[in-house]
Amino acid sequence: MGRRFVISAVLACAALSAAARTRPHYGGTLRIETQGDPWQMPDGIARRLVLDTLTTVGDSGGAQPALAVRWESQNAEHRWEFWIRSSVHFQDGEALTADAVAAALTDACSHPAAACPWSAVHGVGPSVVFTSDSPVPDLPELLAQTLFGIGRQDASGAVVGTGPFRVTGFVNGALTLVANDDCWAGRPFADAVEVRTRRTIRDQWLDLSVGKTDIVEVPPELLRQAQQQHLNVLVSRPVDLLALTMSPNGAFASREMREAVALAVDRTALYNVIFQKQGEVTASLLPEGLSGYAFLFPSDRDLDRARALRGGANPSLVMLGADDTGATMQLAAARLALNLHEAGFNVQVTQAGSRQPPALVLRRVHLEAASPRPALDEMLARFGQNGTVNGTDAAALWQAERGVLDNEVTVPLLWLPRAWAAGERVRDLRLSVDGEPLLADASLEGAK
Amino acid sequence: MTLRQKMLLMLALTVMGVVAAVGWTGSVRVGHVFEDMDRQQTDLLVGQFQHEFNQRASDTAAAVDRMAASDTLRRIAFDLNNGGDSAPYLTVAVPLAEEYRLDYLELIAHDGSIISSLQWTARFGYKEPAITAAGKPAFLKQEDLPDGSSQVGLFAVRTVAGSDPPLYVAGGRQLDAGFLRDFSVPAGTQIFIYKNVSGPFDAHNFAGPLQGPDSGEHYQALVDDARSNARNAEGVVYPTSHSEDSMSVTAIPLKGMEGDVLAVLVVANSRRSMVEVQRHIRDIAYGIAGLGIIFAVLASLWIAARISRPIEELARAAGRVAEGDWETRVDIRTMDEVGALARSFNNMTRQLAEQRERLVQTERVAAWRELARRLAHELKNPLTPLQITVENMVRAKKLPKKQFDEVFKESTATLEAEIENLKTIVGRFSDFSKLPKPQALEMDAREAVRRVVKLYGPALEEKHIELGTAISAEPLPILGDSELLHRALSNLVLNAMDAMPEGGTLTVSAVRAREMVRISVADTGAGLTPEECERLFTPYYTTKQHGTGLGLAIVQSVIADHNGTIAVENVEGGGARFVIGLPFAESVEA
Repeated sequence: MGRRFVISAVLACAALSAAARTRPHYGGTLRIETQGDPWQMPDGIARRLVLDTLTTVGDSGGAQPALAVRWESQNAEHRWEFWIRSSVHFQDGEALTADAVAAALTDACSHPAAACPWSAVHGVGPSVVFTSDSPVPDLPELLAQTLFGIGRQDASGAVVGTGPFRVTGFVNGALTLVANDDCWAGRPFADAVEVRTRRTIRDQWLDLSVGKTDIVEVPPELLRQAQQQHLNVLVSRPVDLLALTMSPNGAFASREMREAVALAVDRTALYNVIFQKQGEVTASLLPEGLSGYAFLFPSDRDLDRARALRGGANPSLVMLGADDTGATMQLAAARLALNLHEAGFNVQVTQAGSRQPPALVLRRVHLEAASPRPALDEMLARFGQNGTVNGTDAAALWQAERGVLDNEVTVPLLWLPRAWAAGERVRDLRLSVDGEPLLADASLEGAK
Repeated sequence: MTLRQKMLLMLALTVMGVVAAVGWTGSVRVGHVFEDMDRQQTDLLVGQFQHEFNQRASDTAAAVDRMAASDTLRRIAFDLNNGGDSAPYLTVAVPLAEEYRLDYLELIAHDGSIISSLQWTARFGYKEPAITAAGKPAFLKQEDLPDGSSQVGLFAVRTVAGSDPPLYVAGGRQLDAGFLRDFSVPAGTQIFIYKNVSGPFDAHNFAGPLQGPDSGEHYQALVDDARSNARNAEGVVYPTSHSEDSMSVTAIPLKGMEGDVLAVLVVANSRRSMVEVQRHIRDIAYGIAGLGIIFAVLASLWIAARISRPIEELARAAGRVAEGDWETRVDIRTMDEVGALARSFNNMTRQLAEQRERLVQTERVAAWRELARRLAHELKNPLTPLQITVENMVRAKKLPKKQFDEVFKESTATLEAEIENLKTIVGRFSDFSKLPKPQALEMDAREAVRRVVKLYGPALEEKHIELGTAISAEPLPILGDSELLHRALSNLVLNAMDAMPEGGTLTVSAVRAREMVRISVADTGAGLTPEECERLFTPYYTTKQHGTGLGLAIVQSVIADHNGTIAVENVEGGGARFVIGLPFAESVEA
């Protein structure tokens, strides 16, 4: 009897122990390192932890309730009304109101990257009402963008939101956030998040290998290397578009010259070598997996036609810059310059800090939307292009996109994923649909 | 210029010439010595460069050899030869180059396409023709860089050990300022490399151990010469206007495998030392020349005391002799040629004085003889009637008183007439001896001429002599005695009238000839013989039957008293012309 009891007790302890390992633990400080500024607009990682949006994008790509519990459109989508979740408070204790939401959205529209489609937004009781001159069918998906995070300044001037973490300080290059116990979505598992900024990838990986950090960035070109090193890598779908944009005046005033540039670029070399076969070669503003028609846009290089279109005139010097001073982007820009040189263009890569705006710019543009039409709207807005989508089917989207790309101002090159590597003690880390780590859902092994 | 000045100038020029020749020779010689030193120094540096170049080439080749045999590259080659992807090796050149201390490195596939490039990462996939040099010694190669520039480097290409198909590795080291820093360059010498030789000259393409040359554009001619002709070019470069900043420059082309010039090594030696030595020599030469001039002055003064002063005294003495001082003598101070010259001069003046004295005595005797002859001739004519008259009176004393009275009366009348004739003759001689000194006053010579012409105009018409005048329209001022000049001119006009008994043309002119007033009286008579021309102005010489021979002598005396001259000449076509020259009176003109 006693022996049976002992054996039963041992088995029960073992079962409890196993259950304890699979269940998330609260507590601990989640450490993450980044190259960039975590608070940068529009998609800094710390902003996502502090600020919530009215909606979020679900795995299916559609809008999901967040600070808004429901919404509806009126007047043929010229008017939208979003009902605010009740009993939600900012991190300083102030209650979330429709007016506060309207004020935050109005403030967000002042950012250059924002392309707010509404003409007015105001609070009406528990709801926020948007009115616009033209229909905005995808407003719920649009409001899920990080850019439209809801926040306000507290008495000390610090930004406070309704998110799972709140900022407590910035010391020695590290931004510290602590868990918001009263978060409407529930308290995060980690007690705190420490974001160390301006860290090179090499340093991040070194810190990860010695246990000084928990989550680090993995650029696409190093993804294969990270996997070879057996890092715990989480990879998103293609969410960053690498594209070459041209100023439609000066050397590239004519469409033929822009088309020559588009035909001269060698996407395959970028894909195969510089970005180590990560992502996908594209000539479309949307990834193939999202639109289903991206393959229809030809992405092959045609150097002879490029040369023919450029003509035999002596080329004037054209500067090519990248919107990112990172080595990979600079290398890609140098490669494109070589490609264009083969086609007869006289292209030189600008150095960082050049005063003269380059005629050619290599840009890396992030996509947050996860459904085709909002995604196309978002990309058009990011590239400053005007396009109208007449319909919801793929043919209408393709038609709209082709209309935009036909002017050859924007030359899509590659769709790239985002990737992160997590340390051994991090559990349940997932990525959002746009490739950002969902730190509120992650917990730490060994936390109490 | 005096003899003394000539001697001074000659001596000074001689001294300066000698000093200049010595200075120039010394300066040129110093220049040659320095040029030889420059050349030796340049040769030394070039040899050092060649040695360093070869050493660097060996080091580079050795580094690439080691790399080609390394496990790292062998693994990469094995991976690629077994179907591995080359993309992961895109940046492998970076750590490899760091490990083997190379400035340039490329991994190249067997088909020549670049797998990894240190110097231009984006060039992956492009062809690199340098693989043809695999296994060869290190060579110079120009490497294009992403920023559009190009650099020259020492390259070696090797095949990775055991790779089949071959994997090539091309590594190099930059031929730049760092390379030049290894050189031991003597003070005053600079060494540069001119890169990017393919384009037009640009002074920014110079690289030196510290920096490029100051005013690099001054080196253009030599660099262009070296790179276009692919041979050494030498010359002098003047970076500033100061000659001491000039440089002796040798531009040496650095060639690649194909013999094409890829860079130019420039060795510049300062000419400051040489220029300063030359300047020092020149300053010394100037100093010596200055002292030489002073010496020449002193020497000429001394030499003048010995040579030029006796000659100057001789010259002055000769001048005095010319002025009529026949008693002039010079001192004989030396026994040399100058002394002999002075002695000869004294002898000459002495002989001249003696001859003159003899001539004067001879002429005086001749004059007295002539005077006696004239007096005898003149007095003889009236004395004969006097003698006959007196004899008649003696014979008439025997006649009756009435006849005697008639004879006496006639005889006394004759005696009175002849005595009067004798008195006239004596009076003329007395007048000649008592010719007055002229009372010189300012006068116009034209007035004297016009007065004579006016006086004798009627007489000329009576004798059928045509009168021609050529009198200056401008005043002809002279200092003269108008009466004496009138008398002289009248004499000439009367002589001319006598010369033309059958009529003719008398031409009188008065014009200015330089500083003289020239008055001429010409006739168209028979003219004069040479003897007559020579003796015409001798007193008591006459060609007339009843002339006294004093007229022209008086004329000459008057003209001489006016410091003038008179000459006679035959006129072409017949006739004679008397020409009087009188000094032009400047004060009157003013």
